[in-house]
Amino acid sequence: MLMFTLRRILVSIPVLIGITIILFLMMNVVPGDPIELMMREHASPDVIARVRAQMHLDDPMVVRYFRFLWNALQGDLGVSIKLNRPVTDLILKAFPNTLSLAVCAALVSWIIGIPAGILSAVRRDSLLDRFFMGFSLLGVSMPIFWSALLFQYIFAMKLKLLPVSGFYGWKYMILPAIVLGWSSAGVIARLTRSSLLEVMRLDFIRTARAKGLRETGVITRHALKNALIPVVTIMAIQVASLLSGAVITEAIFSIPGVGRITVSAISSRDMPLLQGAVLFATALVILGNLVADILYSILDPRIRAQMRKEA
Amino acid sequence: MTRKLNLLLATGLTSLMLLSPAFAENMLRVSYPEDPKSADAQMTTDFYTLPLNIFDRLVESETTGPGQSALVPGLAERWDVSDDGLTYTFHLRKDVKFHNGAVLTADDVVYTFDRMLNPATKALNTDILTFIAGAEERLDGKADSVSGLKALDDQTVQITLTKPYAAFLALLAAPGASIYNRAFTEAAGDQFGLTPETTNGTGPFILRDYTLNDSEMLEANDDYWRGRPKLDRLLIRVVSDPDTLRMLFESDEIDVFDMDFAPTQTPYFYGADQWKDHIVSGPRVGIYYYNINQLKKPFDDPRVRKAFQMSIDRQTILDKNFYGKGKLEDGVMPRGLRCYAPAEPIAYDPVKAKELLTEAGYPDGVEINLQQVSSWSSRWSDMNQIIQAQVAEAGFKAKIITTDEAAYLAARKAGDSDAYTQVWSADFNDPDNFFYTFFSETGSKTRGYNNNDPEVFAAIEKARGMTDPAERCKLYQDLTARIVDTDAAWVPLFSLDHSFVVQPRVKHFIVPWNGWSDMSYYNVEVE
Amino acid sequence: MMTRSVDSAATPETPDEASFLRDTVRAFRRNRMAMAGLIFILLLVFCAVFVPWISPHDPYRVALDEQLLPPSTTYWLGTDNFGRDVLTRILYGARISLVVGIVPSLISLLIGTIMGILSGYLGGKTDFVVMRLADMMIAFPSLLLAMVVMYTLGANLLNIFLALALVGWASVARVVRAQTLALREKEFVEAAHANGTSRGRIMFDHIFPNVVPTLIVLFSLSIPEAIMWESSLSFLGVGVQPPAASWGLLVAKGKEYMFQNPSVAISPGVAILLAVLAFNFIGDGLRDALDPSMKD
Repeated sequence: MLMFTLRRILVSIPVLIGITIILFLMMNVVPGDPIELMMREHASPDVIARVRAQMHLDDPMVVRYFRFLWNALQGDLGVSIKLNRPVTDLILKAFPNTLSLAVCAALVSWIIGIPAGILSAVRRDSLLDRFFMGFSLLGVSMPIFWSALLFQYIFAMKLKLLPVSGFYGWKYMILPAIVLGWSSAGVIARLTRSSLLEVMRLDFIRTARAKGLRETGVITRHALKNALIPVVTIMAIQVASLLSGAVITEAIFSIPGVGRITVSAISSRDMPLLQGAVLFATALVILGNLVADILYSILDPRIRAQMRKEA
Repeated sequence: MTRKLNLLLATGLTSLMLLSPAFAENMLRVSYPEDPKSADAQMTTDFYTLPLNIFDRLVESETTGPGQSALVPGLAERWDVSDDGLTYTFHLRKDVKFHNGAVLTADDVVYTFDRMLNPATKALNTDILTFIAGAEERLDGKADSVSGLKALDDQTVQITLTKPYAAFLALLAAPGASIYNRAFTEAAGDQFGLTPETTNGTGPFILRDYTLNDSEMLEANDDYWRGRPKLDRLLIRVVSDPDTLRMLFESDEIDVFDMDFAPTQTPYFYGADQWKDHIVSGPRVGIYYYNINQLKKPFDDPRVRKAFQMSIDRQTILDKNFYGKGKLEDGVMPRGLRCYAPAEPIAYDPVKAKELLTEAGYPDGVEINLQQVSSWSSRWSDMNQIIQAQVAEAGFKAKIITTDEAAYLAARKAGDSDAYTQVWSADFNDPDNFFYTFFSETGSKTRGYNNNDPEVFAAIEKARGMTDPAERCKLYQDLTARIVDTDAAWVPLFSLDHSFVVQPRVKHFIVPWNGWSDMSYYNVEVE
Repeated sequence: MMTRSVDSAATPETPDEASFLRDTVRAFRRNRMAMAGLIFILLLVFCAVFVPWISPHDPYRVALDEQLLPPSTTYWLGTDNFGRDVLTRILYGARISLVVGIVPSLISLLIGTIMGILSGYLGGKTDFVVMRLADMMIAFPSLLLAMVVMYTLGANLLNIFLALALVGWASVARVVRAQTLALREKEFVEAAHANGTSRGRIMFDHIFPNVVPTLIVLFSLSIPEAIMWESSLSFLGVGVQPPAASWGLLVAKGKEYMFQNPSVAISPGVAILLAVLAFNFIGDGLRDALDPSMKD
């Protein structure tokens, strides 16, 4: 297991470096000057030229890239050009907000998705199945900014049950978490359903049925336990992907999270911040995958054997 | 990590406390769509709300009436200007204290301006001070101090210019010229203005809390030299989504609704019984215009430019797209600007425009490009779509081109930009801020006009140093006629009012003279 | 959003294509939701193609006198801020949105299939390189990757295709690779190998046909995803640019007029909702129909 983990971490290093190179190349082959973008209509060529030189933005691309890489390897992601603050600080301050949003949203998606998936596998084509599956698919089918608007309008403006926007306590978390979580409930529902269907075909379930156990008993006691293994393992990946999927939700609900700073880094060509934020998000996704695999192996002994073989 | 979490919890708690009604009584809650990034006015050319409330300047631009302003003493209680217009002597007010208790001295002023010009600061607002003798040398790293900056004694600052500049005092009233404390600012280094702990000014409010992309909390400065502000607190929130903003305002979570941030809500608020009596509106010293690149065919021909001017139905755009809240402009200077005088009206006349196009050799019409930038607000793409439809009547086959901001700036630099529409608002109350920006030799080139008229260049340089106000204004008015009428190098559209809706409990809210969203909240009260 | 359970679309072992196709069609037709989705999409495609003849309105005409009219018999869904018929705009928008749904899905399917089969069949270094590339793409937050592409290359339709294809191919490659790995061990592939059939032939003649059912399901499910991606990009201002209109852009712009004429914001949102739902039903229906285990 340890070997497996180590191997996976080692393999992910070239992935991370590759991503920084791609990002660096993409952001550098096209015009776009962070200083000019920062000064907008007030940009004056003299000021821009001077500040660029002061920030070493005029050095050759290769030099800038290796300077970045060298510092990054030592744990220094540099200083954001636009925000003038250390990139690490910016990300660490914004991260807890995004994380809590992602975790709450994931909870919402499980609450909707898992029952929907079970019902849909067990009571196929029943009215209840249609309703739950339809409900979870509805979430996938609405653009987040659109459902957010409707929710704000109904629950905050009209019914005055919840605050419109901001980030000052649990009450402020409800609407964004529902909007974001609902949008990924369909994935969970589908996964639960297919994995449950697969398990139900397995021998031990057939045996249990043949022994004359009641259907609900078979499902809850035997099938579900096994079927939820992939669902549980995917949770880690889901949280990681929600982190980067929260960009729009953060913008609409004024949540000071990682997504917000990343978007502004892209539009303002703030390379240090963008590199840092993307590295961070990517590392999270990789970590999420790793945690998922490890969880899976703990829950399912067959996989553990295979992992030993791979390592 | 735990420390980080505690910090987070703490700021979260303060924010919560400050938002609860009991504490909110004497607090004004406003919002802007973007985070200001810093309170340091030297480091921004865009976000001035924090500097305007936390710092003071030697001279202040006071709003005296709708769209009108006067230069009044600020930290300098009086000043003398030498006859040649080169030497300014400022006499500082006594007993002005910074938020940390330090007393303001002439050395602080010298330090502040020197800091701006010090290359190590990497300041963006240096244009304000480049007239000072020795400024260029300091900026280029050839000198360790600025020769034109001197503290004669604790209370007196002398500033020498390289050449007379009529708008120098107006410039010193710009937010970028805010005054800092030497000892504190030096110690804060490049962290100055980024956190409450590293921010210190003489202004009416003190920065207490700053959560990036969320909010800033300011508290009244009890020792403010002009007297304590009526507000106890000022909460500035970052709200980027316009619909969210409106809902926040209507659920009484925000006190001031700035229609600039959600212009499409204008008709609603003007029509709503609940709100229409709580609208505060004022003219904006800013002009909407179309930029025309004269290097690009067919706009190299003045007749085509003239035809373009005449084929836009500005009144309809103003009425329908901006709900009639503004005034048509025919010159370079908008209403409210010093030296403003009504210019020769530009008539909407598609028939005449078509004739001009024929005369210029385009009897079957001509293809033009209208440029827009994807990250700009939809206001601009809306205008392009309307104008595209309008100018078609005169024979302009307009194609709308969208690029991102970087590509647009690059094209402009290369002299290859297409016509685009934008607005320019006065940074300081002087025509130079408009003429120099657009039609000086450097301005015309960097902004992609390429109106290479040596006489205009010379006149603009000359006007900068003129000391007789009446003569100077006359020159600007003549220049307007030449640029707009004769050369048709500039397509003026209109100036808009700036409207705000405020909660009924907000009193003494006035639109600042320049019509900015960034303003000092010193005089505002809440009941 | 992240992973899709298409693995259960198991491949038929004896490729008796005619009867397989018949069974599939029958199973699909029994699924009422999927059929409803299919009919809706066909109707939508028809309207989008023939809208110039169906609608009496010009989608680009600016009529400032008719701003934000409520729904009426002339303007069934009202007018937008330029006095343009909302329904007509939505039908024209359907052209862009459907194309944005289909083209990038096809591109990523094509790249993903080639990469997946090569990687799975050839193994070794090819496999390692392709899978690391895929890892990179999957680890890179999708929306951010798409935004970077749009910002750097410029906001136009072609770059939207590119951005979405770039985001999508890696997960296709992974699924195809897994199937190829399984197929490689199958008797008919080993037999072909023993007969001296070239590797290219095997990949094209024996492996590819067997991943097609999976590809069909992937395709039908990635269309709605692409439509959603495009709407997000348009909301962030780096998608389709006005005066052209995709549904995403219509919602993003219409949202500003939500309070004056709710129809401007809600109608295109409903269009997205219905189309994405329909595609999802079709996708689920196809998956069930192609999966033999669902038939007993």
